Amino acid sequence: MKLCIEHLSKRFDRKEVLRDVSFSFDAGKIYGLLGRNGAGKTTLFNCLNRDVKADGGRFFLEEAGGQRDVGGQDVGYVLSTPAVPEFLTGREFLRFFLEINEKTLPHPEPIDAYFDRIGIAPDDRDKLLKDYSHGMKNKMQMLVNIIAQPNILLLDEPMTSLDVVIAEEMKQLLRQVKAGRILIFSTHIMDLALDLCDEIVLLHRGVLEPIPRDGLADALLRERIIAALREDGHA
Amino acid sequence: MHKTLRISFALRSAYHVNAILYALRQLPFVRRLLPSSLYGSRGLNALANLLSLLWEMATFFLGKLLYFLTFVCGASLLLPHVPAGAAFLHILLLLTCIGAFTNTNLFDPSREKYYAIFLLRMDAREYALIHYGYALLKVVVGFLPFTLFFGLTKGLPVWVCLMLPFSIAGAKLAVAGLSMLDYERRGLAYNENSLGLTLWTCMTVILLLAYGLPALGLVLPAGAYVALFAAFIPLGAAGLYKALTFSAYRALYQQLLWQAARQTEDVQARRRHLSERSITADTSIVSRKHGFEYFNELFVKRHRRVLWMPAARIALASIALVLIALPVLASMPQARARVNDLLTRSLPYFVFIMYAINRGTSFTRSLFMNCDHSLLTYGFYKQPRMVLRLFAIRLREIVKVNLLPASVIGAGACLLLLCSGGAAPLDYAVYLVSLPCLSVFFSVHYLTLYYLLQPFNAATEMKSAAYQLALSATYLACFACMRLKVDALPFGLACIAFCLLYCALACALVYRLAPRTFRLRA
Repeated sequence: MKLCIEHLSKRFDRKEVLRDVSFSFDAGKIYGLLGRNGAGKTTLFNCLNRDVKADGGRFFLEEAGGQRDVGGQDVGYVLSTPAVPEFLTGREFLRFFLEINEKTLPHPEPIDAYFDRIGIAPDDRDKLLKDYSHGMKNKMQMLVNIIAQPNILLLDEPMTSLDVVIAEEMKQLLRQVKAGRILIFSTHIMDLALDLCDEIVLLHRGVLEPIPRDGLADALLRERIIAALREDGHA
Repeated sequence: MHKTLRISFALRSAYHVNAILYALRQLPFVRRLLPSSLYGSRGLNALANLLSLLWEMATFFLGKLLYFLTFVCGASLLLPHVPAGAAFLHILLLLTCIGAFTNTNLFDPSREKYYAIFLLRMDAREYALIHYGYALLKVVVGFLPFTLFFGLTKGLPVWVCLMLPFSIAGAKLAVAGLSMLDYERRGLAYNENSLGLTLWTCMTVILLLAYGLPALGLVLPAGAYVALFAAFIPLGAAGLYKALTFSAYRALYQQLLWQAARQTEDVQARRRHLSERSITADTSIVSRKHGFEYFNELFVKRHRRVLWMPAARIALASIALVLIALPVLASMPQARARVNDLLTRSLPYFVFIMYAINRGTSFTRSLFMNCDHSLLTYGFYKQPRMVLRLFAIRLREIVKVNLLPASVIGAGACLLLLCSGGAAPLDYAVYLVSLPCLSVFFSVHYLTLYYLLQPFNAATEMKSAAYQLALSATYLACFACMRLKVDALPFGLACIAFCLLYCALACALVYRLAPRTFRLRA
């Protein structure tokens, strides 16, 4: 399976944020999406999640030799600020999610097994989500997106403001779930991108550009990325 | 000094011009016509400058005119038992005392001051004095035509009318001087936007005295008020001396603007806290339902504080009112015909009452803040099937909540009609049907607006001018209904027909458009 983007463009007034984005993402890999502030990473994610309508171009999934549109069920979107319904308990949120998706998730695991998987303690499972810590909310957001088994998982700086233990747990989780799906991971932390991601893609000047690893050591790769981003010419 | 004057007015003008241009860009349709580079456009800047200038001129006079028309002269017209001149001076004097504390300009922690003194590092003393001088000029020039016009019509001598604006400015200066002395003594900056309990209590007492004493026929002779106003002038001169010699403007504003910044943060934190507080933390609340019904039941039960409880309170208050009115009607036969006549003609007023008691806006706000704000980031939640299923459930819930007080008020009105002499059977039916219909209308209206214009962004900021315009139009339409002089029957029948038609159209629109429009705003 591949996610193919062809000539995607988006402008806000006169500012052309995405100029001509064309790229092909393969399943089974984590892509690190790097770009300077205002380069359009979140806009690209919003277009792929259909929160924002692109001005031109298209994107589709290519599988078994055929093409098909990307549907709502195909995309999971994890934001840096965790978004969970605060009036529900963790358990209630999972139960609701599993019930309304019972047709697409016919054989769910017991709810506690999911909590065990992300390390939410039994005492916390029946607390209202509004009383969860930032990290716990982040885990819940990630868990729901993982259970939904989307073909594409968009992660917009999901590790920001997580403590080192939770960040490490999240990295392990992402490595576990990458098989069979496309993970695109937007971050400003270069070390994290180099450590976690299989491929590095730069978004600059409104286009996507791969940075081949070419067996380079991390330090040289880092220099190459910085040099490429500096060409962008804006602060 | 000259440079500070020029820069501070340029800053003020830029601030106003950009605010006007920003407001223009928020208008639907206009937004598409204006480029994002409009802030650099010379033509648009010239237009905004003109508007800003007109607004500045209007603030010289318009506010004062309204103040005199309503609070001073309007109110004194309602007090025919006291001499007009004395009542005018009595109210103006006491309101001047309140204004001296609440409208100082000098102790208003505005953003403009923050930008000028701290971001642009302008000389705090020069900046403060220039702006304060300008504000006092506005007071004197703005008040003068109205003290002359209204004072002369109340029979006051010209010299008193000419003195009044200077006395008002003097009162402000006197309070400013005292506040500066207090700052020097205790190190605490007075903030006109953050009055303590003592000051609030004083204001309330002064306000009660301003209108209460003349209502009881108690006012001093006009000469006494003139003497008090005259005393403000030397007090003001002392205040002016203090303002000119005060040397700690920067330190004072540092404290004042820091307080203001904390208040702004507090407002945001309070808003978040309030929306979270509306969630009942009662873990015994459970649901045996399934899927969306399960989700909805938990939402409604955990938000009963903002949904069912206010509706139940309104219903109980309405029952209490009817229970009080019934024995009153029984003991006052002469009032029955009047009440009966009033009720048969007052159905248009009930449109406004139904508008005022409707829980639609609180419901949609809670829906967004505590629920949709987070769930709209999930793909599964935005699927058309899910959006429409939940819309139908939510509509049913809010209709139920609003129907309770509407039905009670409808039944209460019928009971009062019956006990005040009775009416035609159709009149009863109109009350019993049209009030619940209106309540259903408002329920549908607010939920439809929410689904079609979803006005918030991910940061829970209101981003839709169209939504705000629609809310204002709703208010104006309901307000306008109160001016209709129509009998209950034709108005009620028209209402019922309109509500049914509107609900059908609104639901059709939601089913057609909501899967596309019910999104987080970018």
